[in-house]
Amino acid sequence: MADPGSSRRPALRESGLSRALLIGLALLFLACFLALPLLAVFVQALSEGIGPYMEALAEPDALSAVGLTLTVAAIAVPLNLVFGVAASWCIAKFQFPGRSLLITLIDLPFSVSPVISGMVYVLLFGLHGVMGPWLREHDIQIIFAVPGIVLATVFVTFPFVARELIPLMQEQGQEDEEAALVLGASGWQTFWRVTLPNIRWGLLYGVLLCNARAMGEFGAVSVVSGHIRGKTNTMPLHVEILYNEYNFVAAFAVASLLALLALVTLAAKTALEWRFADQIAASRR
Amino acid sequence: MAIEVRNVVKRFGAFTALDGVDLDIRSGELLALLGPSGSGKTTLLRIIAGLDFADTGAIRFDGEDAVDRAAKDRKVGFVFQHYALFRHMTVFENVAFGLRVKPRAERPAEADIRRRVGGLLEMVQLAPLGDRYPSQLSGGQRQRVALARALAIEPRVLLLDEPFGALDAKVRKDLRRWLRHLHDDMNITSIFVTHDQEEALELADRVVVMSQGRIVQAGSPTEVYDHPADSFVFDFLGGVNRLEGTIEGGVVSVAGTPVQTDGEVGGNGPAVVYVRPHQVEVNPAPGPGRWRARLRSLHTAGPLARLELEFAGRSLEAEMPRERLADLGLAPGSECAVDFRHARVFRKEDGRQPQEAAPVPAL
Repeated sequence: MADPGSSRRPALRESGLSRALLIGLALLFLACFLALPLLAVFVQALSEGIGPYMEALAEPDALSAVGLTLTVAAIAVPLNLVFGVAASWCIAKFQFPGRSLLITLIDLPFSVSPVISGMVYVLLFGLHGVMGPWLREHDIQIIFAVPGIVLATVFVTFPFVARELIPLMQEQGQEDEEAALVLGASGWQTFWRVTLPNIRWGLLYGVLLCNARAMGEFGAVSVVSGHIRGKTNTMPLHVEILYNEYNFVAAFAVASLLALLALVTLAAKTALEWRFADQIAASRR
Repeated sequence: MAIEVRNVVKRFGAFTALDGVDLDIRSGELLALLGPSGSGKTTLLRIIAGLDFADTGAIRFDGEDAVDRAAKDRKVGFVFQHYALFRHMTVFENVAFGLRVKPRAERPAEADIRRRVGGLLEMVQLAPLGDRYPSQLSGGQRQRVALARALAIEPRVLLLDEPFGALDAKVRKDLRRWLRHLHDDMNITSIFVTHDQEEALELADRVVVMSQGRIVQAGSPTEVYDHPADSFVFDFLGGVNRLEGTIEGGVVSVAGTPVQTDGEVGGNGPAVVYVRPHQVEVNPAPGPGRWRARLRSLHTAGPLARLELEFAGRSLEAEMPRERLADLGLAPGSECAVDFRHARVFRKEDGRQPQEAAPVPAL
């Protein structure tokens, strides 16, 4: 009481010096490991001016890579959205035999190396794989073609939506659904009117993360793609090819586009969070 | 609507939640299911609502088997303990939910929905708050929204799970009285679950006391309070003193002094005498049939004074009007004498014995 300067500080607030030190450290770390590499990508991409940058992006192979990446994401993300919601619904709202096995399986793509995820599909659908002869007889190509890339991407991005939703749905419990049922709602009505609105923000985060990974996946896709320029090259693969050809400007130009997609995703998430702050707070209550 | 519950058994794994429950709920009555946690009262309520299913036994609504009817077709109004309001909907939409999800053929027109929901919000005194979200309401307001939502489907029976459990004391009292009036106006069969004996005794037409998955006693509040079926009910329905004593030749005595008791006494052996604190008579001077006692401490906040006494190595709680205490002129440490206006005796080896040994403080 006699010394107002130090004793009136809230118990959990650090002193000025240690606060500045901690914040400084965190910022320095962020700058070195996140901001600097990102900046380097753009600097490299634009090192010879805007002209070569635009040229590299307008090149047919680059355009086809962008197209393929978007196509794959457009297939993989909705699939995993449906699967993720269904799986988390089962896991969070019901007790059944094999439930913990399902949880483990959902995590599998996170725990195995993406290269192995790709290999699995080669072993299954490749020319000498289990289903290879049958597929060749029917003239269906999966490996070294778009279907293989989609399969590998779906596999790798499997857990994102489910992982986001399971804890959320478990925390929310099932009283809301029970209330809806007692009020006379059917199963579908309960899902569309009660469950889905309750999880929409978690679902959105899951989808954004899933999308970011679907566009950026390298390892698994690299194994199954065959790297056919203009046909089975996604953006990350295209970047690698250009880089290996010492075509740095083009490589970084495509890379910057990929980075930009990630930034847009993040910005969208932040904007939504800011715009709907009260609703998010209410749904997390 | 009358509800019959017949020999309902429900197990969760090794735990028996309901162990052969029989109950008749009369049309239009307000019934309390009272019991400690784990006694099966909420499970019974959920089985009536169709949210859980009995392993064996029958539920009949007005004589008609309800077991095969899904929750959504039972026309039951259910108020959840934590209200389960839809957080992404306004108060108005919460109340309208039950009307909006009706099959197209039965769904009222939009204007009709507006009118009915408006009327319900009026009734629960929330008409101006229709546009708010549940997170913007107080606990008591949420409770009333939950009630309006349950009533919107014109249920045949209203089920309330610990309806006042999450509210603070003052709001709880007001809402209790309000719910009683509402029930009297609407005359809808209502069942509520509570672990608060005061709430059950004050609010209900009939109280059903449950313990360990069984119904121990059912009757009017006065009946169960004045004539508890066994020591468990006696103990659960309010503050009580438990005194170790003996029975010999039809006479019950505590510390060598005989006690006047109601009801059957039973054969010789150890016994437990139950006395409510307000049935303890404190006298300034010793006399026949009285025990010498010493006043240990005194609580005088409120209309009743609470006395903690000690006699023959036993502790005893007494309650009396503050005026009476002033007449006695007692202070902590002073000597006095006690006897009992009413006491009940239960043989010690009786199946359901209360577990704690110390007197339960009066509520």
